[in-house]
Amino acid sequence: MLELLRKYRTPLLAGCLILAALLLYSARLRQRETTNAFERTALGLTAPVQGGVDIVADGVAGAWSAFLGIFGNSPEVLRLSAENRRLRSELAQLTELRLENERLSRLLAFREEIASQAVPARVIAEDASSWFRTVLIDRGRQDGVREGMPVVVAEGVVGRVIKSAASESRVLLATDASSAIAGLVQRTRARGICRGQGTLLSFDFAMHWEEIEEGDLIVTSGTGGVFPKGLTVGTVSRVSPGGFGLFKTVEVTPSVDFYRLEEVLVLLKEHR
Amino acid sequence: MRRTFVYFILGFVFLVMQTTLLAAMLPLHFKPDLLLILVVYLGLNEGYVRGGALSYILGCLQDVFAAGYPGLHGLALLCTFLAVRGAAARLNTESSTLLLLLVSAGTLLQAALLLFALGFFAEAGALWVIILIGILPQVLLNLLAASLLLKAAAWLQRRFAPRFKLPGLPRAGRHYGS
Repeated sequence: MLELLRKYRTPLLAGCLILAALLLYSARLRQRETTNAFERTALGLTAPVQGGVDIVADGVAGAWSAFLGIFGNSPEVLRLSAENRRLRSELAQLTELRLENERLSRLLAFREEIASQAVPARVIAEDASSWFRTVLIDRGRQDGVREGMPVVVAEGVVGRVIKSAASESRVLLATDASSAIAGLVQRTRARGICRGQGTLLSFDFAMHWEEIEEGDLIVTSGTGGVFPKGLTVGTVSRVSPGGFGLFKTVEVTPSVDFYRLEEVLVLLKEHR
Repeated sequence: MRRTFVYFILGFVFLVMQTTLLAAMLPLHFKPDLLLILVVYLGLNEGYVRGGALSYILGCLQDVFAAGYPGLHGLALLCTFLAVRGAAARLNTESSTLLLLLVSAGTLLQAALLLFALGFFAEAGALWVIILIGILPQVLLNLLAASLLLKAAAWLQRRFAPRFKLPGLPRAGRHYGS
């Protein structure tokens, strides 16, 4: 027996390691809605670095542009090039400030419109994997952010908070495969569930007799317990009858541009 | 112990790069999986205990910043490490092309493991669609990143520490016929 164990020591060790990892993963699935101490610590330690890298990345991009502009000949050309670069840089900064101002004004107006306590937050990092859709924001438990809170922008629904540490949180975007939002077609009030498909959304469980057309607006129904009623989710971009099945196949284009997500609002109160 | 610490720090740096710089530079949510490349490298150069533990810890760290399932990437990276470690004993690990080949295989294996772990234990949703659409670009992106990392590591070693041997790295150099 001992000889056998010795002979198959490596495969046995590998098998035990995999089994242990699988059991740990399975056991932790029950607590996936909460943020454990390891996650809080890792988020707390990494977020300042990620925020710093974000700022450094902007600086590096600026320096790289300046470096590319150096190749001139005469002193006059160099002087004019330098001035041109400076003016361009100032213009870029002003444009950036104007755009930020516009975004924040829209967000502020939206915040007043929804008449709910909300915290503005900045997106500081994306998901570490290409397969999942989450973002890291710079607000956490200290600001009142908790797991399950809805996250929105003026254009519509962004997602919900799934992990929250002291001063940062992770948000599951509506386009993630595990995201499901209770919604309805604004025009006909047909109900369904908006599920993430990576880039687009699908509007599932819409009965085949329901009247749904391309261009219809999908809004939150408020029945899921997370999002307040009436927030824009997206627009119907394709409808198929769904053959002999009970449900229609409906494709929805999200109203939010998830590739250009910079500032968001976390709604602190639950709406039901 | 020092080597373990270096691997861990490297993993941490890779993770920060994946979530910030690379995520901002590349379109359509794609980013190279640098941690996977590190785990494949560990599989070629480290023993079962050290490499296995490191892969699992790095995977758990990745779980803090990817998806919402604690232990998911821990499991996937551990399995990937064990598969590479098992295969490494039967292959010629002196070839740098092997690392690239194993990175491709590792990307496919990791995707399959994620689908298995989510499909059987949680709610995978349309993850298989996302993976099916994106697997080929992801493999190519990982290959490119692995190739660049190998070149950068070999250059850094030649330039700054020509006498200091990093495990497995000499095979990436020009002098070793790779």
